[in-house]
Amino acid sequence: MKNLIFGLAIVATTLAVGNSTGKSTESMNLSFRYLPISKTDYTNFTSSSVTEAMSTVSVKEILNAYLQMKNAFTQDNSTGAANAGKILEAAFKNFDKSALTATQKKTYEDVEADAREHAEHIGANGGNIAHQREHFELLSKDIYDLIKTFGGGQVLYRDFDPMVNKGKGAYWISETKEIKNPYMGKAMLTSGSIKEEIK
Amino acid sequence: MTTDISKVITIPDTVLTLLKNACFDCHSNNTDYPWYSNIQPIGWLMAYHIKQAKNELNFSEFGAYSQRRQISKLDGIANSIKDNIMPLKSYKIMHKSAQLSTDEKSLLINWEQQSIDSLSENN
Repeated sequence: MKNLIFGLAIVATTLAVGNSTGKSTESMNLSFRYLPISKTDYTNFTSSSVTEAMSTVSVKEILNAYLQMKNAFTQDNSTGAANAGKILEAAFKNFDKSALTATQKKTYEDVEADAREHAEHIGANGGNIAHQREHFELLSKDIYDLIKTFGGGQVLYRDFDPMVNKGKGAYWISETKEIKNPYMGKAMLTSGSIKEEIK
Repeated sequence: MTTDISKVITIPDTVLTLLKNACFDCHSNNTDYPWYSNIQPIGWLMAYHIKQAKNELNFSEFGAYSQRRQISKLDGIANSIKDNIMPLKSYKIMHKSAQLSTDEKSLLINWEQQSIDSLSENN
């Protein structure tokens, strides 16, 4: 046993001495070559970051249609909102789901199934702005969930007016800091406040 | 049916009766076809209404909707009743029990709101 310890001590000393002369560092370097890190190893370059970039582009089409609709409502423009509803429907149809991961797809499809129906109703009810605005409230929640998942590609604001909807209040998404209320329109254009900035 | 709304949401008997009288003929898989549904063009018009109706909302398949969509539908039902869009006039003419009183409408709307609240809690 004593010999073993003595032998190990010699080995340890040799190694220590060896370190100071730089000889053994070479052998230590050898072990690093077997670690799976490489400058050109692109398999670790996440494919989801690529797809996120792609889906951000596509969500933009949906988002732009929504904002167009929102701006029409701020002007009490029912026909404009209906047109935007049809554009929004088309944007959902054009969205390329194949680039999404399984989790992203699940979220997207959950939102899309609902949001599309609201877009359809808004599109079909030009002239009945009250009915359109009812759907717009739920649509705004869908769009919020969508941009929280995929990113909106621009700075957005989640605004809230506690007075609408018979005191229940309602949210909407805006691209401007300035408050322009799509539920009240010209009657109370500046009613509401920013609740969240979404980057 | 496992996807029936009653399996997903609590429906008090009073509410269920109203739904049966005013809604289910068009908005479920349990249409009670009257004798005149065999006479055309009434039969065709009826079939068209029912097809549109079930596309929009089907209480028999409610359980298969995503929670998000369930909430939207409940909201839509409440608004339709509030705005007197539903039940359809043509249906109300033939079905006295579908001519909802103010109290009956309130009952339905309150039930809808409670259902939305409890669904939202489960989120």
